[in-house]
Amino acid sequence: MALALENVSKHFGSLVAIRNLSLSFDVGSIYSIIGPNGAGKSTVVNMIAGSYSVTSGTIRLGATALNRLPKHRIAQLGVSRTYQNLRLFDGMTVLENLEVCFFPQSWLTFLTGAKRLSKAERLDICHACLAEFHLSDVADVLAGDLPYGRQKILELARAFVTQAPIVLLDEPAAGLNHTETKDMAAMIAGLKREDRAIILVEHDMDMVMSISDRIDVLNYGELLCSGTPDLVRTNERVQEAYLGTTEELDDIRKLAQSRRAQGGLRANAGIVRH
Amino acid sequence: MGNSVIVRRLGLLAVLALCVVLLALVPYLPSYYVRVADSILIYIILAVGLNLVVGYAGLLDLGFIAFYAVGAYAYALLASGQFDIHLPFIVVLFIGAAAGAIAGVLLGFPVLKLRGDYLAIVTLSFGEIIRIAINNADELTNGPQGIAGLDRASLFGLPLTSPVHFYWLLLVLTVIVCAGVYYMERSILGKAWRALREDQDVVRGLGINTTTLKLLAFALSAAIGGAGGVIFGAFQRFVSPESFTFQESLLVVLIIIIGGVGNIVGVIAGAVVLVILPEILHFAAQYRLLIYGVVLVTVIVLRPGGLVSPRFNLGFIIRKVRTLWLSPSKT
Ligand SMILES: Nc1ncnc2c1ncn2[C@@H]1O[C@H](COP(=O)(O)OP(=O)(O)OP(=O)(O)O)[C@@H](O)[C@H]1O
Ligand SMILES: [Mg+2]
Repeated sequence: MALALENVSKHFGSLVAIRNLSLSFDVGSIYSIIGPNGAGKSTVVNMIAGSYSVTSGTIRLGATALNRLPKHRIAQLGVSRTYQNLRLFDGMTVLENLEVCFFPQSWLTFLTGAKRLSKAERLDICHACLAEFHLSDVADVLAGDLPYGRQKILELARAFVTQAPIVLLDEPAAGLNHTETKDMAAMIAGLKREDRAIILVEHDMDMVMSISDRIDVLNYGELLCSGTPDLVRTNERVQEAYLGTTEELDDIRKLAQSRRAQGGLRANAGIVRH
Repeated sequence: MGNSVIVRRLGLLAVLALCVVLLALVPYLPSYYVRVADSILIYIILAVGLNLVVGYAGLLDLGFIAFYAVGAYAYALLASGQFDIHLPFIVVLFIGAAAGAIAGVLLGFPVLKLRGDYLAIVTLSFGEIIRIAINNADELTNGPQGIAGLDRASLFGLPLTSPVHFYWLLLVLTVIVCAGVYYMERSILGKAWRALREDQDVVRGLGINTTTLKLLAFALSAAIGGAGGVIFGAFQRFVSPESFTFQESLLVVLIIIIGGVGNIVGVIAGAVVLVILPEILHFAAQYRLLIYGVVLVTVIVLRPGGLVSPRFNLGFIIRKVRTLWLSPSKT
């Protein structure tokens, strides 16, 4: 199954967040979308997931045009996601946060129970998933009571528990410390599968460079460059636009630290924008 | 099996027996107290029903009493001399529940796009619209005069005429409704509702159609309201629009808020307190409403989450009883 953006644009009033973007993603790989703050990365994720409508262009999953469908239909077709700012169900337990993903998706399944997982099957899948993400010990803890790092992992687990073929991860490592980020990178790398495309938006360059099969660089809503990590690393335009001068790099690091202090809340300050 | 286990089990049985005896003694009290008990039970049923929408799905519905009115008028029209239709009580009970559910869905469709305050205002208006429509539909409902002389109800050959009869009927229904809602709360549907209350966009992102989810909450809660209304009609044997004012909707919402949102135990406590309080305050004559208001405000200030903590819910009690019963040694 392949996901394709065809000449997609997104305007917010007079602001052009995405301009004529064409990209395609196929199962079996990890794709990273990188770019400075405000480049439009989250906007791409939100358009694919149906949170934002597209201004023009088409997003296709296989032969189906996604961008006219309601959000829940897009999810049912196999697109799952995480959010840049954590959005767990804080008042529910860790286990329940996963269980709720298995709510019957249509009236027919709901009423007849056809194709519907039994409670035992559902719990088996969820417990297996918790084990895979090292969350078994906190299965009955309220999600809101978990430390930040484990909340990030729980959100990751929630995106993978239904085995969706397209998984969108918006900054899974934001706010994590160095070791947590490395663990997160290893975890995501381990989730790569033949029947799954992982689309990763991330600022942590070590992570992006180490686990991506392809990197797409966005700048001001346009595709600057696209290719293997080695190719992107050496691309001059990328260095200029994204990495900026060393001074700015220091700023980025400082920002990352302060984000950690704020519990992962991201300021959309245009550090790299001019 | 050690001695302590037997003692513990006997203790549990004693507590259970005490509850049953207390409930069974109510009918022997003077009729006034039985009526108060009936009133408490009716409000428990209504509040547990509305709690599906307010407490679980997180949608503030201020027009709930409209469904109660639909049920009461279903009985008034289908079991009285009004059109000389005399359906049995049990049949009207189901018709009333179905009519309530349909009204719930009809209300649900237009308002589901709304959130928070807007939803509250529209549902409030809906409640008023239903009441005013009943008031104005003279040929059908006799308007403000109401419909009198509703049929004496009976159930499986047993007469339902005195407050004591209704006490037993309401007690059984309360248990059924609470058990049903508790089961729902624990099912995946209940989890989806709670998730909806926390973050509706994320719920949609999980592939769940939030419109159906909310409609289902509205329909089920309205069905319970409708069934309650049928019982009310059969009990009073007289209905008029006056019984279905905004104050009534507000009282049901207050019961939930004072008791503990989303918690059946809290809702029961809330109904007991808010129905008994004005009765106790009769002695205070003209200061009654003032004291009532002060008490409510005090509760909200001191316990903003409601009288009963969310942790102390039906699940907690059941777990506690089970461990007390089963655990072989002292816990
Ligand atoms: N809902 C919205 N309404 C108006 N403008 C928006 C909205 N969402 C995003 N934008 C704007 O679109 C541009 C792209 O935003 P987006 O969030 O996609 O950036 P990003 O690449 O994810 O940045 P970051 O690294 O900070 O997360 C920004 O200028 C942003 O202000
Ligand atoms: Mg972003």
